[in-house]
Amino acid sequence: MKALRQIAALIRKDLGLQFRSKETLALIFVFSVLVVLIFAFAFGPEFPTEKTERGKLTASVLWAAFVFAGIITLNRSFTIERSHGALHGIRLTGVDASHVYLSKVVSNVVFLFLLEIVITPIALQFFELFDDVTVGIFLKLLGVLSIGTLGFCAVGVLLAGMSTSTNGGESLLSVILLPLVIPIIMGGTKCTVSILVTGGLEDRFWLGMLVGSSLIFLASAYLLADAVIEE
Amino acid sequence: MRLNASQITKNFGHRTIVKNVNLTINPGEVVAIFGPNGAGKTTFIKILATLLRPTSGKLDIEGMDAIADYAQVRKTLGVIVHEHLAYSTLTPFENLKFFGQMYGINDLENRCKTLLAEVGLQRFLHEPLHIFSRGMTQRFMIARALLHHPSILLLDEPFSGLDASAKQFAIDRITQERQDGKSILITTHNTELGYLVGTRFFFMINGELEEIAKKGEIEVETLLHLYEERLIDTTSN
Repeated sequence: MKALRQIAALIRKDLGLQFRSKETLALIFVFSVLVVLIFAFAFGPEFPTEKTERGKLTASVLWAAFVFAGIITLNRSFTIERSHGALHGIRLTGVDASHVYLSKVVSNVVFLFLLEIVITPIALQFFELFDDVTVGIFLKLLGVLSIGTLGFCAVGVLLAGMSTSTNGGESLLSVILLPLVIPIIMGGTKCTVSILVTGGLEDRFWLGMLVGSSLIFLASAYLLADAVIEE
Repeated sequence: MRLNASQITKNFGHRTIVKNVNLTINPGEVVAIFGPNGAGKTTFIKILATLLRPTSGKLDIEGMDAIADYAQVRKTLGVIVHEHLAYSTLTPFENLKFFGQMYGINDLENRCKTLLAEVGLQRFLHEPLHIFSRGMTQRFMIARALLHHPSILLLDEPFSGLDASAKQFAIDRITQERQDGKSILITTHNTELGYLVGTRFFFMINGELEEIAKKGEIEVETLLHLYEERLIDTTSN
């Protein structure tokens, strides 16, 4: 029970700090919209008439936007902990490092998931798929995005914990994180395409890759959390 | 004894910052360590606070091996270092409440309010920490360090950057905590203030710790003279 109370307090604190910083919220939202806009301008104004092609394009843009927004969010989440030694303050309470890790994963997943709920309809509108997406399809999309976000944050939190303690850590995170999350991006994008084009998941292989890699990342990062946070 | 550091050494790369340091602290003692900038005081205090692992040596705190059982040991420590170890966008009340939840403190809201009133921050309960002056931040740091009733206080430069009234507050609080039986270690380069609160005096120069005297055995002028002599010796060598 004590562990759960500590994790809940850590999540409340993390989310509170994320939402209190209005500039960062605005920055991440505007950045995500800009990524969608850039692709929309680059490929528009006339998009492929074939639904499959538009589905592929939209899925790629969505995942690119969320990955880049995710990197900013992860960096921000650990910069707050490093400035003024707040993470040392948490360590001094004797709390288990794995609790700190889990709370960071949950708070970043929640934050990015809320962003995805807002950005996805905007992207669908820009790429002329909005009218084809029913509530059921939208929920399936959010399901896939949430699994991908979990895997992304599972490994991202661990690497952000490491990179923000070094000089130039913010750029370092992109370089070390992106190669690792390729299975998640591949699985997530293919599932998103399938949902946008057919309304369901035709090929279960990509869903398996998405879920499997996310769980493997979560388990291995959880086991390494102590070493990363303590060092 | 509450704290026993034995043969503590810390290397960063090829540089040895703390060299074979031995130190014991008993209940009701205030150990004052004087040393210039870069002498290894902060590194040593971070090792005692279990925030840094020593390269070699043994550290026992409250009868526990502080290197292996660091999570348990940390609950017995109140620590002040150069940073405030909290969130600058949160208020002192929110910060104390959060850290109190981590410690599992009962009747937390009252404890936070009482402590913040004791350190003179009752009017600033709901102001974010980033607007605080150095003196107010130091008062908050004292409250954060005392929140969970630690038996050992490790205070790195507790007087630095403080005005006269904040200094007097810090002196009074350290004296009160010593009278309550806490074991206290302070590092400072201000010999006069260190003498005022300390009961045993040490010099740390180039990572080496040397015991000088107990309170009744030395006058403040002699301590200051000895300290200046050591500094000159070190510079000329």
